[in-house]
Amino acid sequence: MKIQPSSRFLLAVISIAGAMSLGSPLMAEDAKAPAAASAATLPGDQAISGISKPDAAKLAETGDPDGSLTGTAADVTVADAKKGITLADLANQAGQNKIAINFTWTLICGFLVMFMQAGFAIVETGLIRAKNANHTMMMNFMVYGLGLFAYWVCGFAIQMGGAGAIANLGGTSPINAEKVFTLFGKPWGLFGTKGFFLSGASYDVGVMVIFLFEMVFMDTTTTIVTGTCAERWKFSAFAVSTIFLGAITYPLFGNWAWGGGWLSQLGVNFGLGHGYCDFAGSGVVHAVGGLTACAVGMQVGPRIGKFNRDGSPNVIPGHDLSYVVLGCFILAFGWFGFNPGSTLGASGNGCLRIGSVAVNTMLAGCTGSFAAVLYMWMRYGKPDASMAGNGLLAGLVAITAPSGFVNPLAAVIIGWIAGILVCLAVEFFDRVPKIDDPVGAMSVHGVNGLWGVLSVGLFADGKSNYGGGWNGVTGSVTGLFYGDAGQLVAQLIGIATLVGAIFTLSYAFNWITDVIVGQRVGVKAELEGLDIPEMGALCYPDFQVKTAEYGSSISASAGTPAKH
Amino acid sequence: MRLAGLGMILAGWLLAIAGLFITTSNVGRAVIACAGIAISVYGNLGVLNSYYLARAIWKK
Repeated sequence: MKIQPSSRFLLAVISIAGAMSLGSPLMAEDAKAPAAASAATLPGDQAISGISKPDAAKLAETGDPDGSLTGTAADVTVADAKKGITLADLANQAGQNKIAINFTWTLICGFLVMFMQAGFAIVETGLIRAKNANHTMMMNFMVYGLGLFAYWVCGFAIQMGGAGAIANLGGTSPINAEKVFTLFGKPWGLFGTKGFFLSGASYDVGVMVIFLFEMVFMDTTTTIVTGTCAERWKFSAFAVSTIFLGAITYPLFGNWAWGGGWLSQLGVNFGLGHGYCDFAGSGVVHAVGGLTACAVGMQVGPRIGKFNRDGSPNVIPGHDLSYVVLGCFILAFGWFGFNPGSTLGASGNGCLRIGSVAVNTMLAGCTGSFAAVLYMWMRYGKPDASMAGNGLLAGLVAITAPSGFVNPLAAVIIGWIAGILVCLAVEFFDRVPKIDDPVGAMSVHGVNGLWGVLSVGLFADGKSNYGGGWNGVTGSVTGLFYGDAGQLVAQLIGIATLVGAIFTLSYAFNWITDVIVGQRVGVKAELEGLDIPEMGALCYPDFQVKTAEYGSSISASAGTPAKH
Repeated sequence: MRLAGLGMILAGWLLAIAGLFITTSNVGRAVIACAGIAISVYGNLGVLNSYYLARAIWKK
């Protein structure tokens, strides 16, 4: 189609406006601008009247205090200075600006998610006894280093090595090789094969952005396990377990859900809605972490004193509720990177839904906290602070998968149910399977992660449309309540995979670790507290740390355990 | 006991996958998937966990 000169001019003006990314209107700017230095041209030497550059000499003299002269046509990169600005220059600049916006958005959201590690660290440390504070804090700290290393070596390649081009990040075409096998005539993507050590063609700007964003998600998964196993987990076993989780378990499910693997293709191959849909990772991140926590928690066993001889549970209070509440606030803040950031951009392909994703996140967290407090108040007579925090986190975990597909009313319902669910689950794990979980991680992340996955299949309202389709299926993700039962089936297959395959894989590997390294510390170390036996230093050396229930104490000020 | 539990957990997952080929009906697939999930959960908390409950530290 041939573009008429007048249309071309109009297109150029629109492109420049976009290229200046959120600048003031062009004509208004021109009115204030000093005299033009040179006129920009289009192909065919057509001058663009009215487009000018600020007077550099005057700028140098007076500056630009109101910002009206900064970011003009002078800042558009031109391929050929003699020609001036061409249509191609404008198009390139507009394209790069779009990708720059998306890069910046994704990276900043990734930084927010990384900061969630601080929230996890103080929530978990606050919920355990002071004698284990250094040990718990260090586990939360080291998941960053150990997990990142494992993910860089092979985790990223397994997860995203076959993801293919991600349009919002400008392509990422180097990660395009998925290992696929065929079963009954259907292709089943298993794992990616490009991007090991971020070497070769994966040394690419877009790949680096997606690596950072996915890495901090993996880090969240690994930190969930440390909560469940706190106060009795050997640091060496923790290190081995974390590396495996970051290198194999998490990336494998991540590939199946997000990397073009078989779960994401259930829609294309079996007509099940849009395949397994998990917007920001209720399943990929939280359920994988929660189920791994369950597998390791079983093997490690309960803390001494958690259960009486008749099997009835005791409450072992944490040492600092202010840590818990503050940590929950940090996590809620970081979640605004977790969910809205999962659009992988703020420009194009339906990314403007970041507003509704953020509001859904906020609403579900608030209603989760509200519901949990109300439940505890009615059942036990007091508004329990730690369960208020867990209710907040439960709501946030549950809304993570559906946040991009549901409306605010659904977010409120999902969060509310999550808040009740977490209270029931904590009691259930204490009373029925008797799996000790000092921080409630299995209930918050495992149970509510699965609830979040299920809720996509129920509440997705068919109004989201990220670039025309999701997982290769045209149209919007729609749940059972809005007419698509197939989407619910896809979510159920995802849940079955999490509780069946991922749990088994986690359990098997940690079983081997148990045999070789041993998962649990000795009785003496557990009674003394793990800070000295495992870490060699007390977290609170200037305080007398009480371990009265076992008739022992640590003379903290001396920095060494007391004789019993 | 541990192997039996793990076997049940895996069997539940495989049943859910098999449902994709057994029927093309969404209701049928959903029912089979739910059955698979139930088997996996029972294998986990009912069978596998009983091995650990029998050896629990608070019973010693």
